[in-house]
Amino acid sequence: MWGDAWRRLRKNRVAMLCLALVALFTLMAVYGELVYRYHDFKDITPSYQKTHLDLAFQPPSSKHWMGTDGLGRDVMSRLVQGVTIAYKVGIITSLIAIPIGVFFGCIAGFFGGKVDDFVVWLYSTFASMPGLLFILAIAMVVGKGLLGIYLGIGLTTWVGICRLVRGEVIKHKSQTYVQAAQALGLGSGRIIFKHILPNISHVIIVTFTLRFPAAVGTEVFLSFLGIGVQDQPSWGLMINSARMRLWQGMWWEMTFVTLAVFLLVLAFNLLGDALRDALDPRLND
Amino acid sequence: MLRLLPAAFAVFVGSLFVSGCGNGDLTAGHDGSELVSFSSTTRIRGLDPATSGEVSSSVAISRIYEGLLQYDYLARPYKVIPALAESMPEVSEDGLTYTFKLRKGIFFQDDPCFPDGKGRELTARDFEYSIKRVADVKNISSGFWAYNGRIKGIDVFHDQSKLPEPTDYDMPVEGLKVVDSHTLQIKLTEPYPQLLYVLTMHYAYAVPREAVELYGKKFTNHPVGTGPYRLVEWRRNSRIEFERNPKWAETGRVETYPASGTPEQEAAGLLKDAGKSIPFIDRLVQFVVDDTSTSWMMFLAGQLDSSAISPDNWDAVITPDKSLNDSLEKRGIELISSPYTAVFYMGFNWDDPQVGASDDPEQDMRNRKLRQALSCAYEFAQMNQFMNNRLYPIDGPIPTPLAGVLEEPSPYRFNLEKAKQLLIEAGYPEGIDSKTGRRLELNMELGSADSNTRQSMELMANMFQKIGIVLKTNYNTWPAFIEKMNRRQAQLFRLAWVADYPDAENFLALFYSQNASPGPNHSNYRNPEIDRLYEKVRVMPDSPERTAIYEEMAKIIVEDAPWVFMYQPMSFSLKHSWIENYIPHDYPYGMGKYRRVNREVRSEWNASYGDKKMKMSGGE
Repeated sequence: MWGDAWRRLRKNRVAMLCLALVALFTLMAVYGELVYRYHDFKDITPSYQKTHLDLAFQPPSSKHWMGTDGLGRDVMSRLVQGVTIAYKVGIITSLIAIPIGVFFGCIAGFFGGKVDDFVVWLYSTFASMPGLLFILAIAMVVGKGLLGIYLGIGLTTWVGICRLVRGEVIKHKSQTYVQAAQALGLGSGRIIFKHILPNISHVIIVTFTLRFPAAVGTEVFLSFLGIGVQDQPSWGLMINSARMRLWQGMWWEMTFVTLAVFLLVLAFNLLGDALRDALDPRLND
Repeated sequence: MLRLLPAAFAVFVGSLFVSGCGNGDLTAGHDGSELVSFSSTTRIRGLDPATSGEVSSSVAISRIYEGLLQYDYLARPYKVIPALAESMPEVSEDGLTYTFKLRKGIFFQDDPCFPDGKGRELTARDFEYSIKRVADVKNISSGFWAYNGRIKGIDVFHDQSKLPEPTDYDMPVEGLKVVDSHTLQIKLTEPYPQLLYVLTMHYAYAVPREAVELYGKKFTNHPVGTGPYRLVEWRRNSRIEFERNPKWAETGRVETYPASGTPEQEAAGLLKDAGKSIPFIDRLVQFVVDDTSTSWMMFLAGQLDSSAISPDNWDAVITPDKSLNDSLEKRGIELISSPYTAVFYMGFNWDDPQVGASDDPEQDMRNRKLRQALSCAYEFAQMNQFMNNRLYPIDGPIPTPLAGVLEEPSPYRFNLEKAKQLLIEAGYPEGIDSKTGRRLELNMELGSADSNTRQSMELMANMFQKIGIVLKTNYNTWPAFIEKMNRRQAQLFRLAWVADYPDAENFLALFYSQNASPGPNHSNYRNPEIDRLYEKVRVMPDSPERTAIYEEMAKIIVEDAPWVFMYQPMSFSLKHSWIENYIPHDYPYGMGKYRRVNREVRSEWNASYGDKKMKMSGGE
């Protein structure tokens, strides 16, 4: 299945371009994390946090490719650190949301009846709450900062994947391979996680690629509002500080950060679409 | 007493300034009288001296009403002079009894509340009545703090007014004695030299009892005063108009512009009207314009004659060396700047084991060295550069121009070498904490999360990073921040204090241990020596000895470094060239009567620039 999918994906040029972009962003994220860890380990202040007021608001040049911000810090190095934050948010919130969604989706779809009723009630309740308010509430409880963002986004976005998985499991439950497994007397857990789950894993992968940029976007605007990242260079914070000076013609910080958000979201979304096509077994010919 | 969130400050000072300088100008009035208009973004809530509180209302109230005392328009440092009092009060030997002689021949404006509608003469009873109104619980006055515990027996009246039946204003108050129709005696429970400043505030303005009784709840819309102006029309939230009070001419009352000033004031043209009769302006119109960009456009078009500078416009309007851009300058617009009597500071919590006081004398000394080191690491020039050079350096707890301000630079001004040395003595060489082997981490609490606060704190973090100290910041909402302050949970915090009256006592109170959180001493600073001196000066009248003690206290505080004294803000505003006799004042109440409009300059300006549009940024 994976080999086929890869072959199909390779034929799609846009998807390959997006994959390259995603790979590039991933490299930047890893690099940024290494830089952060290095400075943290050595207990020194990294250069992207150091202010030089004399260099404030410099337009892009050979020295600062993306110019400098209001405190004279290089926009590009902060942007790269921003990728790290964005990736952390995307990955960690997925690690929270996807297991919850998959677990509840599987048991609801497989067992049906009371369990299904309960799960449907649970996710309907979550879905009925305005997401942003819920995230704000969680961020207020655990305190501002990345932890609040992780939990806030993670605990609110499992509903979509739960619904999808539940639908898929219901579909697969009546298929012959599941009936065969049941006839062999296998336990429910084994059937769900060993037999059904691998067959619906493409749904999860596609959902991941689609919710990743959504989580990044949420982080950006939460930080923009001031309840997200506190003293790391997040994209949201960068946009917020760049916004006041935009009308005076200081376009670089805003432009490059927005461009980065745009590219990241676009690449992940297009890749997600392409993956869905490539992984869909029904297109298997 | 005012505790102020630094972020809100720009807006606050701006509004204070616009309303304070209060002159703007559309066209000459139809009848040839001088019409002046200006705008303010804050609404006037009411015109009752006892119940209204905020700045815009105070300014409007002080056009209509007057008190016993007022601030001298030109004198710096600020000086209190008689207004409706004949002279400064006689103060008894023990400083507890103030006797005021009232001026004769002061009349209230004509109003239907008086018999035949003719304004009657002002008497000492009016002041007794007005002060009682502030103490009346039913009026929900924001000014009771000024008299509470100070005037003898006022608390009895206050408690009495809590009863459901209408407050009995004939009930005597021990500390408010009407000796005869033109003599008022105020008795205090303890010496209160700041009483003179309190009596310049609108909580002490004379209100006629007839008007309050006739208009009842609507009195706030029907002001009846003795002042230079009377209310013509008030459309709430949009427009308010005042005109010259005709009673002054009728009763032959003459007030004059200050006769003398400093040579600098003379050079600035502030003494052209010296000794002339005031007020100069016949008609005042004030608009409420919510949108700062609208009022800014109105100012550029000459429709308003003074304006604050909104933070968004700052860079475009003001050049880096703090002068106006060329096209504004060409139009004769003038920039007025002066330090504002306020202190912005970073406080250390005295309860904190790392930066506060300690029972172990050695640790105590080390913590003190650490605080001093951080003071030395704070670089005013950088902060000033970041804030567009809008700041004024400060070397101690007392801001300019108050008596007691330290003349010589603080020994803990920015000096990296000294900071590093002090840090070694404090036991943190290169900022390394020997207990953890890592750089020392300090936690700072802030009361807002806007990008300006954030960036200035990133700047601070960078200053401290230079001596190897890591500053972690925590941005709170204002209520959460105050909660943390009151629970004494913050290690470091940033706050500002704005003066209520021009007396350093107002600032030194912040270091008095009895005022510790939830009081205004948020550092919870404790020093028996300061307590002793504060208790001594609190009841002292203004004198060279008191100023000497103020300086002594300031020096002890600088040495103890419970605060990093960050800056004193400058306030800036713009005015058109036709407004004359203009000088900024920190307590701008009742100052409008001294200002003048030069009609020739104005019409010339209108002829040459009236039709030319300017861009938002003040360019052609």
